[in-house]
This record gives sequence, C-alpha cells and structure tokens, in this order.
Amino acid sequence: MNLKGRWITIAIVLIAAIISIYPNLVDLTTQEQKVTINDAGESITETVTANKHWWPTKNKIVYGLDIQGGLHLVLGVDVEDVMVEKTKRLAGSVTTDLKGKELGHINVTVSEENPLFMNFNTSKPTDEASVSKFIEDFYPATLQVIETLPNKIVVQYYQSKADEYKKQVIGQAIEVIRNRIDEFGVTEPSITAQGSDRILVQLPGIKDSARAKDLINKTARLNFRVVSVKMPGDQVFELVQKAETDGKFKLGFKDGGEGGNLAYSKYVKEVNKVVEKDLPQSTRIVFEKVDGAKTLVDGKRPYLIDTSSSLSGDLLEDANVGVDQYGKPEVTFRFSIEGRRKFADLSEQAIGGQLAIVLDDVVKSAPSVSARIDSDSARITLGSGGSYQDTYDEAQLIATSLRAGALPAALQQLEERTVGPTLGADSIRRGKLAGMVGLGLVLIFMLFYYRRLGVVACTSLVFNIILILAVLTMLGATLTLPGVAGIILTIGMAVDANVIIFERIKEELSKGSGIALSVKNGFDFALSAILDANITTAAVCVVLMYFGTGPIRGFAVTLLAGIVTSMFTSIFVSRTIIEWSIVKRGLKKI
Amino acid sequence: MSKKISGKNLENNSTSKIKKESTARFNFPFMDYIKPVALVAGLIVVAFLSVIMSKGFVYGIDFAGGIEMQVQFDKPVEVAKVRSFTEDMGYKGASVQAIGEDNEYLIRLESLKGANEKETNDMINAMIGKVTTGLGASFQESSPKVRRVDSVGPQIGDELKKNGLLSVLYSLLMILVYVGLRFDYKYAPGAVFCLFHDAIITLGVYALFGREVNVQTMAAILTIIGYSLNDTIVTFDRIRENREKYKHANFKELINISINETLSRTLLTSVTTLLAVLAMYFLAGGVIKDFAFTLAIGVVVGTFSSIYIASPLVLFADYIQNKKEGAKA
Repeated sequence: MNLKGRWITIAIVLIAAIISIYPNLVDLTTQEQKVTINDAGESITETVTANKHWWPTKNKIVYGLDIQGGLHLVLGVDVEDVMVEKTKRLAGSVTTDLKGKELGHINVTVSEENPLFMNFNTSKPTDEASVSKFIEDFYPATLQVIETLPNKIVVQYYQSKADEYKKQVIGQAIEVIRNRIDEFGVTEPSITAQGSDRILVQLPGIKDSARAKDLINKTARLNFRVVSVKMPGDQVFELVQKAETDGKFKLGFKDGGEGGNLAYSKYVKEVNKVVEKDLPQSTRIVFEKVDGAKTLVDGKRPYLIDTSSSLSGDLLEDANVGVDQYGKPEVTFRFSIEGRRKFADLSEQAIGGQLAIVLDDVVKSAPSVSARIDSDSARITLGSGGSYQDTYDEAQLIATSLRAGALPAALQQLEERTVGPTLGADSIRRGKLAGMVGLGLVLIFMLFYYRRLGVVACTSLVFNIILILAVLTMLGATLTLPGVAGIILTIGMAVDANVIIFERIKEELSKGSGIALSVKNGFDFALSAILDANITTAAVCVVLMYFGTGPIRGFAVTLLAGIVTSMFTSIFVSRTIIEWSIVKRGLKKI
Repeated sequence: MSKKISGKNLENNSTSKIKKESTARFNFPFMDYIKPVALVAGLIVVAFLSVIMSKGFVYGIDFAGGIEMQVQFDKPVEVAKVRSFTEDMGYKGASVQAIGEDNEYLIRLESLKGANEKETNDMINAMIGKVTTGLGASFQESSPKVRRVDSVGPQIGDELKKNGLLSVLYSLLMILVYVGLRFDYKYAPGAVFCLFHDAIITLGVYALFGREVNVQTMAAILTIIGYSLNDTIVTFDRIRENREKYKHANFKELINISINETLSRTLLTSVTTLLAVLAMYFLAGGVIKDFAFTLAIGVVVGTFSSIYIASPLVLFADYIQNKKEGAKA
C-alpha cells in the first residue's frame, strides 16, 4: 500500500474509533416520563428515551457491578427436590388412572436412587403387558418403559422430557424472583440460569441490597382468591387514591425520598392499613400490572380480593401451557384431591365474577368464572386481543406462576457480592487517575529516551488507547476494575512493539545502512519477535476468558483488546509516520 | 571451557566475525557469571519454596469460603476496637485490617464448617446479617457504612479453586505447545524453568508477607508469566536469528551477544511497564492495587529470569545434545 493509501486507512480507523467512543463521553439521550392511556382506560407511565441528536452508534461501555455498585447473587435451586415431588405426583395420578382399568392392585413408587425412575409393582402376573401398553398409549412423549420383569415394570422419563421439566423448575424460580424485584425498579436487572441448577441475579445500582436479598430468598406464595363484588371497581380505585393522599405516600421503587415513596410490598400494606375501615369485611386490596406497563409503578390496577377463602398453590399438582381446539394457547392445571374440593367451592363463590391468581401480593391474572368447576383439572382460556406470541407469552407467564406455587423450588444463596455505590465511584476515579498518570509517565519517558522516534511512539500509544476504548465500546464489553488494570498494564506494555522496532532500526543504522533501508529492515526483522511475544500473552488471555469469573474475564478482554490494537498502531501507524517523515519531510536522522 | 561445549573447529574465525558485526551497544559478559548467578538464583528459589512450604498461603475467601466486608466509619475507630467487636460477636478467627486512610477496615471471616454444604451456606449468610446489624449497634456514634460484602459458599469456592488451577494448567500448556512449535525443543526447558522461577518467587512473596491469594492473584501471576515469556522469546528469537547467520560461531558467545543486543529493549520495556504498574500501585486502590503489586514483582523477576535463566539453559541443552552426539560418534 502506498503512503497515501495508508494515511487514508489510518484516518478511517481513527474516525470510526472516535465515532464509537463519543456516546461514552457525551450523554446522547434524554429521558422523559410519558403518560399514556391504554385500551382499558388505565394510565401507564412510561420512561421514554429520546435522542438529543442523531449519532450512528449508541453503544456505550457498561461498567461492571464492581464499579457501578449493586448486588450479585448466585442462588442454588434445589431442582432434584422438585423433581422428586413432581414424579411422586405423576405416580399418584397414574395410579388413579390405572384404577379405572380392570387390573389387579398396582403400586407405583418413585425410585429412591433416582427421581427420574418409577417402579410399577403389579399383583397379577398377567398385568405387565397391559400396564406397559397403557403407559405407551397415555404418556407417549413423557414416560418410557425400560424393563419388564415379573410383577415389576421400570419406567423412566424420556431424557428430553426430564430436561424440559428441570428447565421449567429454573424458569419458575426465575419468574418468582423477577416478580419480586420488579418493585425495586432496577433499570437493567439480569436474572439468568447458570448451568443446570443455578440462578445468577445481578442488580446493578441497587441501594437496598439487604431488603432485595430478603425478598429474593423468601419462598413463593401463590393463592387463588375470589375477587370481591362487595364494592364496585371505581370505588376501589378511589379508595386507593384516598389512601395515598391521606397517608401521604405513593408507590415508588424504594422507601423514602420525596413524596414519601414506598416500595410495593410496603405500599400494599400501607394502602390497606389507611383504608381499613372503609373496606368491606375480610377483603384486601392488591394490584396487577396493567398491559403494556413495565413495572407496577408505571401502571397498576387495583383488585379487591376476598380473604375469607382461598386455594393455596400447594394444592395444585402442576400447570402447563396447551392449545385449545382452535389452536389458541391456554393454561391447564391439575389439582390434588383436596385442591379439587376447594376449587369447586371457590369457583362456585366466583360465578359471574373473577378469580384472581395472586403471587406474592401481585395479581398475575384474573380470569372470569362462569360455572362451578368440580374436576381434577381446569383451564384458563385467554382473551383474543393481541398477537399469537403475546397470548402465548401470557399463558407461559401464568403457567409459570402457577407452577411456582405448586412446586416451590427451595433457593439457597451460594455467593454474594455487594458493592456500595460510593466505593465503586471511588475505585473508578482512582483507577482513571492512575491510568492518566501512568500514561503521562510512559509518554515522558519515551519522549526523553527516543526524542524524535519518541513522538512516533507516543502518537501510536495515544492512538492505541483510543482504539482499545473503541473496541470495548463496539463489543459492548463490561468494564470491571481488573479490566481497568488491564488497560493500564497495556499502556506500559504496548510500547514494547515500538521499542523492539526502534532498537532494531538503531542497530541497522549502526551497521551503516541508509535510513530508509534501516527502517524497512527494522520493521521487517522485528515482526517475528513482536508476533511471538504477543501470541503468548494472547493465549493466556484466552484461557482467562474461558475460566475466569466476571471481573477476571474483564481483565482478559481488555488485555486482549490492547494486544490486538497495539499491533496495529505500533506496526502500521508508526511505520507510516516514520516513512512519511523520511519521504516527504526529508528526515535524515532518527 | 568453550571448546568443551562447542567442539567445532571453525569457531575462532567465526567468533571474531559475529563479534565484529554485532551492533550491540552493551557488552556485558553475562555468560561468564552463569555459575555463581545460577547458584544464587537456585538458592533464592529454594528459599522461597521453603517459605511457601512452611508458612503456607493465606487464601482469600474466593478459595477459602467465608465473608469479607469493607466497612467505613466517619470518625476514627481503633483497630483493636473493631477486633474486639468481632470477638464479641463470637468470630474468633476473624481478621481485621485497616485499608486506606479513611477509617476503613476489611473484616474477614472464614466460613465455619457446617455439617454439610447447605448448613455452611446458611451459616455464611447468617453471618452477613449478624455482623451488619452488630456493627450498626456497636459503633453507632461513628456511623459505620458497609461498602462492600463478598460472601462465597463452599460449592462456589471449590469451583473457583478448580477453575483457577485449570486456567494455570491450560495457560502453561498453550505456552509450551507454542514455544515447542515455534522454536527448537532445545529452547523449551529454558522457557519452562523461567515460568517456574517467576511463579515460585512471586507466590513466595505472597507467603512471606501473608498476603491474600485470591482469584485476582492467579490472573496476575498468569499475566506476568506471559510477560516474562515475552522477554524470553524476544531473546530466543535473536539467538535463533544469529544462529542461522553465524552457523559456526561459539554458541556461548553467540548467546551472550544476543542477550546484549536485546538488552536495551528488555530494559526499556521493563521500565515503561513498571512505570504504568507503579502508577497503579500508588494511585489506584483495592483490586487494581493488588494486581499492581503482583505485576511489579513479576516485571522485575521476569526480566531477570529471561536474561539469566532462559538463555543459559538453552546453552545447557545444546551442551547435553552435543555430548550425546559425541557419545554416538
């Protein structure tokens, strides 16, 4: 490539880098509160992010929890325990089904070593074939007959089914946590499954981590409750408003602050306390998130529920999403024997009205009831508004909530890392200072030692730092404190390539070669040493990226980014500058 | 002595040739002092090894399990008072350490062992709450602020340990494979011994001062291993290049000249890296400072080892090989 072409390449890279860094330096967005009214006439507050002016990229470097402060929790989910319970219940319902057939007494037990196995013990020797056939006919994709022995049939879940169930357990635990931490209004909560039996909860910027932890670690409480008809809906709505004005509080993301904010769990308690005497006997107000709202603070709908009777989640056996005869998603759920009796009562009370599904004081759904339901199972059909995907998602959400009540998974806190907001701000401030000073020292040293070549080295070093930041921004990488250490270390190590080259050029010069040839040879001969040296460090980075935990991975990412960008700046950029100086500026001495 | 090692007849002419053509600005006779330096280096490694053996490491809670809390008071509070507080809470093994100047303390409680993992986890979690409320009650007048809490249960601790070890193993493996592929097998022992030398001395310093070994330490040590290898490889690269150019030169002298030729680069890079690392050590805090501590030791030790350990071992490997060939012939 000729000089002109190389300058153009450098210019394009530099401009692209600056464009990508810009959103980190200047806040491009403004946030506004926008209130909209949905179809049901309820108000939804939305935080709308608007751009101040157009810019090609919006990516920003995200600070890790160790810098922005927040809560990092790893929770263990007792999946095994839930599976045992689930298999027991399945064994129970298979036993019930078999009673209808004309067979001898059959005893179904769950294997003690492995909850994925069931043993069917028959009393009549001729029954084995019929039982096998029954299982194959009625549980085709779920259960698989492994072995038929005299008087004993061993049955196992299909692996895919078992995996699906285990995933469901994690999924419901995640849903329960999400339901609870909604009230903290964390902008970017991350609740993800980690491996097969863990959940990673990351709540950046949360202030009240102790309470968040308490809420997360509680077991889920799910109830079916009759929506009370003792008071019309608008009157309940007015009561809530009255409670807010009288009690001088409103729903917020954390307790205290201006206007007397109360987080949801406390808010519900306070609302009910203030208007207690206005409420009909044994009723209580709880809320549902309205359609389209992100959190309860953005938009909530009050329900008056009857507290005199309920059906608690533990009386449910299981819940699933199915499709009705028209192919529309619906939620099906099964009861235990006691559950069936209670649900019959409850549905009778709710005829003509609604039955609310309440998970931890939040109404998840309130289907209407038209008749008494006295059956082993029931289903919720969903309204026809919205797209298929929306309906399906809603069905999933309801089924997951129901399962969370039916088969509560015990959570156990395995790891916690809490960082207060001031500490993180302190650390990054000092880290930035250290970076600046380190950079300054290295620049001064290089200028002092190499003079003219030093200018080239410094230019490529500064360019390198711009590039590292640009690469990190484009990757959407998370910058952690070890990551900051990685950048500062790169500042010191990145000049290495230049030093190798410059020393080589000096050697070539002292052999008596002309300046142009010395520069050419210097770069050419130095290349293999630079490559070898960088590849080994890069190898270490790759290993650390794979095995390291969050912060360490951040270190590896920044160091690796630094290695790659420093190759470009010290080989390509400095060579261009030096050759340009020789050709165009007639540089004779270095 | 040189005749013993090389045993080639043409050496005298070539030696003068490489010497005449060498452009090295330095001419330290490094290789003349191999024996005493190797002895001293060997003694140092043995000394640090025995420190590690006898004192052992103080493992951070990442590996040991337990909780670590960083507490800041807004008025001066004596260390002894914080210590007696943890004892009053019933945690005898607690360590209390002052950090920074702002009445800040690090309280570390290793996990009490419960009957099983679940119990241990529960105990750790209970500890966080107990200490937090206890602090509030006991130091009311200096309004304590818990700025950071880390708690690691037994399962996670085991996993971090396992991953830490695996990352060290895989890094070493990758480096070795690369050096083996890229260079002659003769160079490999030098590179490997260098790595051990650097790792043992750095870890030895940790054991000696009772500094906490945690996940960051492992990452930092791997980084300095990578760094030290940079130096080694640049020197090896030069030895290889000179070897091709001056096929019949005395190998010992050739190595010495190669070291001298790359010496300015080795030292310059060490200086710039050290400048950045020292800025981190003195100005940044917490994790970054810990990183800088390890890196600073590593830069110094790594620079030394690539000059005095790696290259002489190449010579030694060459000597062994020649001896074998001699025996065959």
